[in-house]
Amino acid sequence: MRWIHAAFALTILSGIIATTGCSPFVENNTIEEIAPVIFWSLNQSDDRHLEISTLVPPLIHEKKRMLTLKVDLQKQGGKEFNLIYYRELKPGQLRVIVINEELARKGVLPLISTYLMDTDISQRLYLIISRGNFEEFMREQLNEQANLDYFLYRMLKHYEASNQGEMSILNLHQFKNKLFSPYADPYLPLFEVKKINLTYKGTAMFRHDKMINMLPLMDDQIFQLINNDHYLKLFAVPSSDVILGHVRSKVDIDLDPSYKNMTIKIDLTGRLEEYRGNKNLHKREDLAKLHQDIEKYLVSRTSDLLKTMQQWKIDPLEIGTRTLHPFSKPISDSEWLNLWEKMKFKIEYRLTIQPLVNVNQ
Amino acid sequence: MTALSLFEKSTTYNGAYIFMMANRFQMLYFVFIMPTYLIHPYMIWGIVLVGILSHFNLMLLSKWFRSRFATKGYDGFVEVFGETLVRFFAWIGLFFLLLKASIILIGYVEIVRTFIYPSMNQKWLILFMLMISWYVASKGMETTIRLIVIAFFMIIWIILLIVPFYLPPIAAFHDLFPLIPLEWTEVNWEGLLFIWSSLSGPEYLICLGPWLRPNENTFKSLAYANALTVLEYLLLFVGSLFFFGSNYVSTTIYPVVNMYRYLQSPVIERIDMLLISIYLFQFVFAISVLLLCFYGVARIAGRKTTKPTSRMGYFASWLTILACTMIINEWAWNGGTVVNRLLNLQIWSGAITYLLVPSFLLISIYRKGRV
Repeated sequence: MRWIHAAFALTILSGIIATTGCSPFVENNTIEEIAPVIFWSLNQSDDRHLEISTLVPPLIHEKKRMLTLKVDLQKQGGKEFNLIYYRELKPGQLRVIVINEELARKGVLPLISTYLMDTDISQRLYLIISRGNFEEFMREQLNEQANLDYFLYRMLKHYEASNQGEMSILNLHQFKNKLFSPYADPYLPLFEVKKINLTYKGTAMFRHDKMINMLPLMDDQIFQLINNDHYLKLFAVPSSDVILGHVRSKVDIDLDPSYKNMTIKIDLTGRLEEYRGNKNLHKREDLAKLHQDIEKYLVSRTSDLLKTMQQWKIDPLEIGTRTLHPFSKPISDSEWLNLWEKMKFKIEYRLTIQPLVNVNQ
Repeated sequence: MTALSLFEKSTTYNGAYIFMMANRFQMLYFVFIMPTYLIHPYMIWGIVLVGILSHFNLMLLSKWFRSRFATKGYDGFVEVFGETLVRFFAWIGLFFLLLKASIILIGYVEIVRTFIYPSMNQKWLILFMLMISWYVASKGMETTIRLIVIAFFMIIWIILLIVPFYLPPIAAFHDLFPLIPLEWTEVNWEGLLFIWSSLSGPEYLICLGPWLRPNENTFKSLAYANALTVLEYLLLFVGSLFFFGSNYVSTTIYPVVNMYRYLQSPVIERIDMLLISIYLFQFVFAISVLLLCFYGVARIAGRKTTKPTSRMGYFASWLTILACTMIINEWAWNGGTVVNRLLNLQIWSGAITYLLVPSFLLISIYRKGRV
């Protein structure tokens, strides 16, 4: 008899809950009715407003279109899109945030802190900087390539996954860690957007959360070698008409105890992929000369790069972390910045190149 | 209608159960928020130091278990203290049990709400949790203790997920510098207190005395449980330093869950949801045990020990915990902030019970022996 009582009580209880409409679940995730967006693109619209856009619907065989809105706050965009589009937008699958360069120069912290707090959004969110009108590019390309948003994400993931060293890609978590560390400055990949193409232009450098400037491609290659990935699949050195391939680097940075001088030793190993100069690579002397030329060029380029960083008062190479010791008080970030600006450095390159041809004595 | 027999005793459990229970009691809610309280890398030594202190404390506790009073339950306590004093302690105990049960319940429910059901009313989750615990506890103390095997083995492997955070590029040694404290502030004292309080929990095993089979290995079980807990604390804390860096770790809420969120799996995206759900086992176990203890202690306090357990009394205990939790949840809980008075109260009360209970019991036995 007991189970009858129990069943009776349960029916009444569920009846009460149902009639009062007191359901604990309020969100609806029926897949046919939602649009989990892959990217947000953020633009500066005017002084106060943001322009925020995305492509909907993602990954469904349905004609895609671009939605753009002018809003005060990003999440407001998420809300107002629902009013102009028949599916509900969900941020759970968000993978890429495209930030316009102008906006990045004003500071990205208020923008990304939204994504840092949101528990629905993965911390493996890629951040990229766009120069030019990203929305226009997307709109133009929609007819050519329907799943553009997805492929953009796949591209970033491809180069990030095994540190292939083509682009300086950071996800939200890594960016945040560099931002909050006193001895590091964040950086992001910068893409130039024209009507018909999207081009990787180099690394955008940040001082705190504000974009300072961009490293052009040649400097970017060196940056990949000495910091980001320590690997480059192809390393073009146009000054010597040569391309090195599969270049791995081993970087040894040495600070003297007074933090006034620094020695960077960089070992590069790779192989000769292409040569268009007029040296005879079968001869040992010529090959040695080529080595020297490349080393000399790299030393001057790297030293220029470091000087630029000192000028910009940034330390994306995280050299400051080398001042930390287990048994001493860490120096403050402003102190480190002062030291870094005045630091003198010596750069040494050691090149080991496999010539891939037989070299005569 | 069958009679409800919650405190039947037909078998006793050996050291393995003591080990698992002590360990899981120490790994409740506090471990999720620990890095936020410790912040500085040199608090690694704090964990080790407090862990060693806890080891000695457990030595005292095991002495109590070896005494002839421990397995007698209520009668044992009466023998040591006399009936009036036991009733007095029972009243105090009710407060601590209620507070502990409510705080860990709200703590867990809040994690669930933050990461899994952001739009859900927390009260529902509290109700669901307590209903599960009601069911488990109504099977009696014996069966509830047996649940620890499931809870332990469902959860213990999760600590292995920490491995990716110990590999470069996430792990870098300079995140752990400076390794020695160069200045010592109030925050550090609070950190030590927090570690001590999170190590508390095994003292509640004295309520389960009749179902345990203490022998010369009891201390070993407790010590291994403590060592495992300290190891887990260390792994999680160092992992979170690697992952967040010392500068950011104090600003996150639930750093441990946030770390697990960063893991990726080819099968499911929100790995944190799965892990939080698995943790349900240990929370249900802990709350069921606390519920049964609460009922038992309430019976002592209300001089009902000679009468058989009743559905009414059990329900009243359950309802008290529910009501208390709801009230705390409604009025006094500032979720996710360090300025959380009730959490501070629990930190202190946990620390005090863990410090006082074993030594107090031991002193009483010695005095008893002399008289």
